[in-house]
Amino acid sequence: MQTPVIEIKDLRKTYKGNGVPAVDRLSLSVPCGEIFGLLGPNGAGKTTIIHILCGLSSSDGGEVTICGYPLKTGLKEIKRLIGVVPQDIALYPTLTAYENLKIFGSILGLKGAALNNRINELLRFFGLEHSKHRRIGKYSGGMKRRINLIAGLLHQPKVLFLDEPTVGIDVQSKNLILENLKEINRNGSTIIYTSHYMEEAEALCTQIAFIDEGKLICTGTSAALIAQSNGCVTLEMLYLQLTGKHLRD
Amino acid sequence: MGKLRALIYKDSLLLRRDRAGLCMMFLMPMLLVVVMTYLQDSTFNSIRETRIPLLLLNNDHDTLGIAMERQIEASGIFTVSRNIDGKDELVRAVARGDYMIGIIIPENTTRNIRKNVKRYVVSAFNGENLTANTDSVLVEIYIDPVTKNSFRSTLMSNLREYAVRTESDFIFNEITEEVDKLSPIPVSGLQLARNQVIFKEQYAMPDKNNAIPNSTQHNIPAWSMFALFFITISLSGSLIKEREDGSFTRLQTMPCPYHLYILSKVAVYLFVCLLQLVTIILLGMYLFPVLELPSLTLGSHKLLLLPVGICSALAAIGYGIAIGQIASSHQQAAIFASISVVIMAAIGGIWIPVFAMPQSVQWISAVSPLNWGLEGFYDVFIRDGNCWSVLPECITSILFAAACFALAIIYDKKRV
Repeated sequence: MQTPVIEIKDLRKTYKGNGVPAVDRLSLSVPCGEIFGLLGPNGAGKTTIIHILCGLSSSDGGEVTICGYPLKTGLKEIKRLIGVVPQDIALYPTLTAYENLKIFGSILGLKGAALNNRINELLRFFGLEHSKHRRIGKYSGGMKRRINLIAGLLHQPKVLFLDEPTVGIDVQSKNLILENLKEINRNGSTIIYTSHYMEEAEALCTQIAFIDEGKLICTGTSAALIAQSNGCVTLEMLYLQLTGKHLRD
Repeated sequence: MGKLRALIYKDSLLLRRDRAGLCMMFLMPMLLVVVMTYLQDSTFNSIRETRIPLLLLNNDHDTLGIAMERQIEASGIFTVSRNIDGKDELVRAVARGDYMIGIIIPENTTRNIRKNVKRYVVSAFNGENLTANTDSVLVEIYIDPVTKNSFRSTLMSNLREYAVRTESDFIFNEITEEVDKLSPIPVSGLQLARNQVIFKEQYAMPDKNNAIPNSTQHNIPAWSMFALFFITISLSGSLIKEREDGSFTRLQTMPCPYHLYILSKVAVYLFVCLLQLVTIILLGMYLFPVLELPSLTLGSHKLLLLPVGICSALAAIGYGIAIGQIASSHQQAAIFASISVVIMAAIGGIWIPVFAMPQSVQWISAVSPLNWGLEGFYDVFIRDGNCWSVLPECITSILFAAACFALAIIYDKKRV
């Protein structure tokens, strides 16, 4: 069995003024080198889990270890090893793509020619080389998504957190992003991925965990989970079977 | 150091791309300082040069009335008009605003005063006391109702001075004439020296200081302080914008400590503040004389402007960062920052000198960071102070900045 790159034990989080826990005694292990899908309906607790793992939110209890570093004491080291692609575009709209990447790359510890080469390499990889001197505010939605992704990849992170990276973009951009994510994973990055697109998750993820109401429902490969289910033939059917058809707001 | 350099690069780029914000930080204070100095300067000039329209109804037509009329005209402050038939018309003309002031010298003023003097002198020679039985003369003064209280007081004090001078000259002449009639030794020939008490007005400053307190010397430090604190709107806005567009969230996921993030803001905005200060000073030194305003004189301890400027700028930056960290939206920060700066400016003596404020408000001005900076600048520009005189203001400003930074850090930790 592969070494877990992320180990979560009994994680708890309840937001102030909200009686229902966002994460309820969740334990999970993410093996190294996987594309790990965290799937669940709105409000299931996916983004909260990612926020806790990235140090954006504090937990109320439990233990988390990332790349061997405990989250509570080793956040500084963890931040050097992880890459985060937030759900919303997290870029400076008045700066160009190149300026954005140069700033984030420098903060991540890259410098000089190495930084420049890495920026150009990733821009080429995601088909944005020719528009690198255009301001982000002038980019299309798909272009912004790609730059948002590149900003999390600059330092070749060991663990990459992707919070719904393909929301609101065209098929071409989505296809390019997914293909490139597989390539990035082959180059050694473990990917933690959240999405509402079940087809996309089925095609991309090597391991899946279903989460609802802050709890882990089940985990495994998509094929194994479908096989164990009660007559489901797609991940989407399984998802509806596990989480129900009632609306979540 | 690489991270800090990257953050400074980021903040300076963001600032450069925000043209409207830059205009607000540089052009507005410059405009403000020119307009305010010009207005203050022209207020004095309007009294000296423009002259105040005065409507005079002299019903006396005798020595004292004529002398008062001449004295008012000779003052150079008033443009005297006499085209008036009666009291009612005079009051209406002043109420309409055609004249700022109207004066009615009553009939028989000279005769009554003369009569009084005669009675005084006679009774004095007879050893009697007449103080309770004198007929006083009532000169009526009407003032345009829109005239401000401060201006009214100045006008009244000027008029009173002219009236008293004329009256005393007249009474003196009358007394000597009456005494000559009664006394075997004539006193009118005596050359009594008038105005023996001479007032020499000068500013209490060390000899080597060549700075003359004027509207420029007062307005440049005052509006420089206002401009420094005006950057809180842009600074707090930039923090909130980064939070709203998610870029701050990305920085939080990176090995980027919050204190470096703040330090970069401090470095960039400190540069902006000092540039702002230099611009306003150069404006006072070189543009003001072209606009026929008094030129700015830096005093003999110019270098002290640097610590005073830096400490005041740090206080402003700290305040801006604290607002940016605590406020939850751009609008909230902008409204709070602008209103609080205006209030701190008002109580800090930017518009009205602290000594002229009510006693109950004066102690509040001592807690306004704008007042600390202003006093520091006055020490340099006007009082020709040294290191020790600006030290208290510098220390209080630094402590205020430190408290603001601490508050911002606490709020940042609370937010996670």
